[in-house]
Amino acid sequence: MATITASINIASDITDYGFGINKEMTMTKADTTVGIENTNGLGVKNLAATTAVVLELAADATASKASKVYIRNTGSNKAEHVKISLNASASADDTVQVIGRLYGGDWMLIPWEANGTGHNIVAAPSTASEVTTIEYMTFHE
Amino acid sequence: MATTTATLSIVSPDLLPSSPLSISASSTLMKADTSVGLHMMESGSGELTVTASNGGVVLKEATAAGENTAAKVYICNKATDPTYYIQVKLHDTIMGRLYAGDWMFMPWSQGAGTQEDEISVEAEGGTCPYEWAIFKEGETMVARTA
Repeated sequence: MATITASINIASDITDYGFGINKEMTMTKADTTVGIENTNGLGVKNLAATTAVVLELAADATASKASKVYIRNTGSNKAEHVKISLNASASADDTVQVIGRLYGGDWMLIPWEANGTGHNIVAAPSTASEVTTIEYMTFHE
Repeated sequence: MATTTATLSIVSPDLLPSSPLSISASSTLMKADTSVGLHMMESGSGELTVTASNGGVVLKEATAAGENTAAKVYICNKATDPTYYIQVKLHDTIMGRLYAGDWMFMPWSQGAGTQEDEISVEAEGGTCPYEWAIFKEGETMVARTA
């Protein structure tokens, strides 16, 4: 069993009195306190076209468990983004549900239903005039 | 302009056989296509109970004003029983399960107009206290009718 800890800190002056979130989680397998112990490692994609691509996440992940996916747009350009979607199949043009846009520097950590119908993750850059680099990692059972 | 910074740390001393894992990421949350900070926020908390039909509840509806923006969503399951989880959906698509103590943070581009895109949550196993926050761009307020 591995111990994986993910912490989030959000600090904002969006109100005069400030706003903050601090939360830590230890990634555990479904229905237990046993730590998640599988990963596909840290992947990197350099995307030079606006064509959508399916991320190579963990093909051996079991569906309906406690899997997590981390994705980050490693760039710094806040005028361009990569659109992240959930996909019904391994065909990148078969997007069923857009999640949202990761602009330069933006990151996401989400629970993941794992591969299968509607659960592939697709990335589509907004520009072909510069290379969009994303990094991603899966934590799964 | 507001400044909202979201920072992530993922560490593990023993997930990888060869070396400790350490991932750090930090982002200042901006409006779409700009370097102007997101300046609206909504947050809340509550309890999700398991129901017979258990279709879940809508945490947040997408809006036309929010379409293709750079909103971000945080959700946390504050239950302590490891068998209790919150299933998170984008419209009819299951995203995944937040088990007790789990949190998530994601962009949300609200594809209203061309796509139903609401975020819904449903408890499984038992009652799950939860909290959420959304950081987003401004909205045009609805004019009062006489």
